[in-house]
Amino acid sequence: MSLVETFRLTLDGEEHIVSIAADETLLEAALAAGIDAPHSCTKGRCGTCLSWLRNGEVTMASARALSPRSNERGYVLACQSRPSSSDPIWLDFDI
Amino acid sequence: MQIGKIDSVWRYPVKGMRGEEVPHLYTAYTGLMGDRIYGVVAADGDPGHPWHTGRNQEEFILYKASYQASEDLLLPDNLDASYSEWEPGIDPLYPDADAFKVTVETPEGVTYDDIEDPAFIADLEKLTGRSLRVYTTQRGIFDARPVSLFSLSAAAKLGEELGMDVDKRRFRANFYVEWDNQDDPFYENSLVGKTLKIGEWLELMIVERDPRCTMITLDPDTAEATPKLLRHLARNHAGDAGVFAAVVRRGRVNKGDPIFLK
Repeated sequence: MSLVETFRLTLDGEEHIVSIAADETLLEAALAAGIDAPHSCTKGRCGTCLSWLRNGEVTMASARALSPRSNERGYVLACQSRPSSSDPIWLDFDI
Repeated sequence: MQIGKIDSVWRYPVKGMRGEEVPHLYTAYTGLMGDRIYGVVAADGDPGHPWHTGRNQEEFILYKASYQASEDLLLPDNLDASYSEWEPGIDPLYPDADAFKVTVETPEGVTYDDIEDPAFIADLEKLTGRSLRVYTTQRGIFDARPVSLFSLSAAAKLGEELGMDVDKRRFRANFYVEWDNQDDPFYENSLVGKTLKIGEWLELMIVERDPRCTMITLDPDTAEATPKLLRHLARNHAGDAGVFAAVVRRGRVNKGDPIFLK
């Protein structure tokens, strides 16, 4: 079971509540919910799924496309992010 | 059949740094003369892509790299002699490695007369906190293919779609082109698998579309990121912008050269 059962996702000005299963990344959960979340390589390299983690905590398996500046701004790569605490997650793609 | 012309010719002396437009340039089977012959390798980089670039330090794209002997690095001395009956032509002799010395100017105005000056890498290490070294080769460091093309119409159309000015330099192409086709702004996509003749000698086979990463999100003048550009490409253009080419026949290319479909 995931540390959180759902998370909030903002995309194109719309708000979604997305269910997330254990071992799913935020991107995988969004796509499974039928949301057209931007992505490309899904390996943490291209940066297409760059998004702002406005709340919550995640761990990233790889973050090659994430610069220190992006990291300081609270950006994450959705394709590599999994919840790492029970804090509510809010992921915002509209950056 | 002529399908367009060369708007401008660009090379990037140091991989990831600002490029320079040149009036003409020799294009070898291994890519454009002087293109990306230096790179900065990060000890903690991805084993498959160890280069320090704007992906790791956005302002790196603002570093200005220029050859100390730029005029001597446009055409090999024996280029004319190398056009011979030995089709498709003999690759000419490049200047010695010493001729490719590069001066680097940082966005803060600090100038290093030689990128191989230990002070350059020491200062960059201090700034980034990474263990770095300068790597060089005379024949280019490319992620995928030795030559890239991108059209002015594609840049304009992306700008229209996004409601923002999209500077062509974001795409770091070697050849920016103007197509005669006015109906398809992304006309280059239709050329995959086809061979183009450019000017008198150069022939390129367009081998694939160019999948993009965060580099294109960086403003070439400020290094500020606009992530929505990459998101838009992924959702509307399969993540691609521009095309890669392989050199079928080497030769000189000039700004304004006509482009023919073979």
